[in-house]
Amino acid sequence: MSLPPSLPPSLVATLPGAYYTDPGVFARECERVFESMWFCAVRASDLPKPGAFRTVQVGRESILVTRARDGSARAFYNVCRHRGARLRTEESGEARRAFQCPYHAWTYDFDGRLVAAPNLTKMPDLDRVEYGLVNVAVREWLGYVWVCLAEEPPSFEEDVLGEVRTRLGDVASLDNYDVAGLALGRRIRYDVAANWKLIVENFMECYHCATIHPELTEVLPEFAGGYAAQYYVGHGALFGEEIRGFTVDGSEGLDRIPGIREDQDRRYYAITIKPQVFVNMVPDHVIVHRMFPLAVDRTVVECDWLYLPEVVEAGRDVSRSVELFHRVNEQDFDACERTQPSMSSRTYARGGVLVPSEHHIGLFHDWVRGRLSEGGGDAG
Amino acid sequence: MIPVCPLRSLPRGEAFRLDADPPIAVFHTEDGEIYAIDDTCTHQDASLADGWLEGCEVECPLHASRFDLRTGKVDSPPAKLPVRTHTVVVEADTIYVIPSQEPRP
Ligand code: FES
Ligand SMILES: [Fe+2]
Repeated sequence: MSLPPSLPPSLVATLPGAYYTDPGVFARECERVFESMWFCAVRASDLPKPGAFRTVQVGRESILVTRARDGSARAFYNVCRHRGARLRTEESGEARRAFQCPYHAWTYDFDGRLVAAPNLTKMPDLDRVEYGLVNVAVREWLGYVWVCLAEEPPSFEEDVLGEVRTRLGDVASLDNYDVAGLALGRRIRYDVAANWKLIVENFMECYHCATIHPELTEVLPEFAGGYAAQYYVGHGALFGEEIRGFTVDGSEGLDRIPGIREDQDRRYYAITIKPQVFVNMVPDHVIVHRMFPLAVDRTVVECDWLYLPEVVEAGRDVSRSVELFHRVNEQDFDACERTQPSMSSRTYARGGVLVPSEHHIGLFHDWVRGRLSEGGGDAG
Repeated sequence: MIPVCPLRSLPRGEAFRLDADPPIAVFHTEDGEIYAIDDTCTHQDASLADGWLEGCEVECPLHASRFDLRTGKVDSPPAKLPVRTHTVVVEADTIYVIPSQEPRP
């Protein structure tokens, strides 16, 4: 095989096409990325009381996220310890007293302990904790329940908060928005026929903004230059002069979040928290995307628009506000879906190229390669 | 009369399973009453001491039939037969039961 042609200095190579199409690569990503790192699973307010639950796909595993009687978040593998039946198949619901397996009725309390089973008293040697549901590490942050399937979870402070520091310079700049205290104004779920990395790459650059995001570029004129807010550290993209709010037509937004600094007003910030979270902050709301990679060519993205609780409680009209980023999402995901089929083209076997305003995506690619090769083995 | 446990080791809202033959479940209700009934659900082999105590009733942990602790009666299927009730005696801070002499239903 001939060596790849050397690139002119303006260009940097992307990952080869197979990284976006090979189920073996995806399986390895599940293992080394999604099942090893902190994963933002559920909005805390979607678990309003003990026994309320959600099931989420984390890598190759189904995880049951709930609240114990003391109100703390818990997460378990959604796998019965008897003979493996899925405990709950619904996306969400509320268990009244316990999680009971529908197969032979093994019954687990909200701490995962085995509390009852047919003939259990005849098996006094069966330890109820040992044969309880298998626990997953849990953290609540930003008003979300984060889970980690690693046996020894990496430091949340370094991994998750570290991403915020890298992008914003400090965590306080995000704390100002009090994301945990905001209320859900709108949620839209996008089922995207594209590899999760195409979505991350898209979110990291703004070379496409002037072409596919007319409304966004109207609100944030500097985006026409092609440099994403994420290209810099601590940089917020300034609203255009005539723009009154972060809305689809630049009209007035909702009530400003009181904790933000003066210099955070009229600016848009964006953070990628690898591997599956994007956070956008504007003065009156915060948008949180959670990606759920389901297959090498399929990713579900759940997007939450969060506003001050009084804005949501009063039933204020957030539609123009939601519409702006909803369009951006559709425009972006269309572009990702347009790209996915070409990943298996022979012309893309060596991948594509990154222009200077995209060069920082190369760091993401290095990171992916690093994760996949960690601990030896073939990165595929 | 069979000793069960010291009174203080069975707080309100809790149950104790006495490994007699057949086993007996002793409940201390939130109202402070103490009751004893057969521990095994009449539907399937489940321990009612592991069930959910609510007022004067316990719900089987497996299939949600409820038994009245005072009468042993069951409210709804899948269990159809009642459980027996046993006499409780508290003496010198110890709980005792006097097992029923009736045949099991
Ligand atoms: S598989 Fe769950 S009780 Fe048998
Ligand atoms: Fe975009």
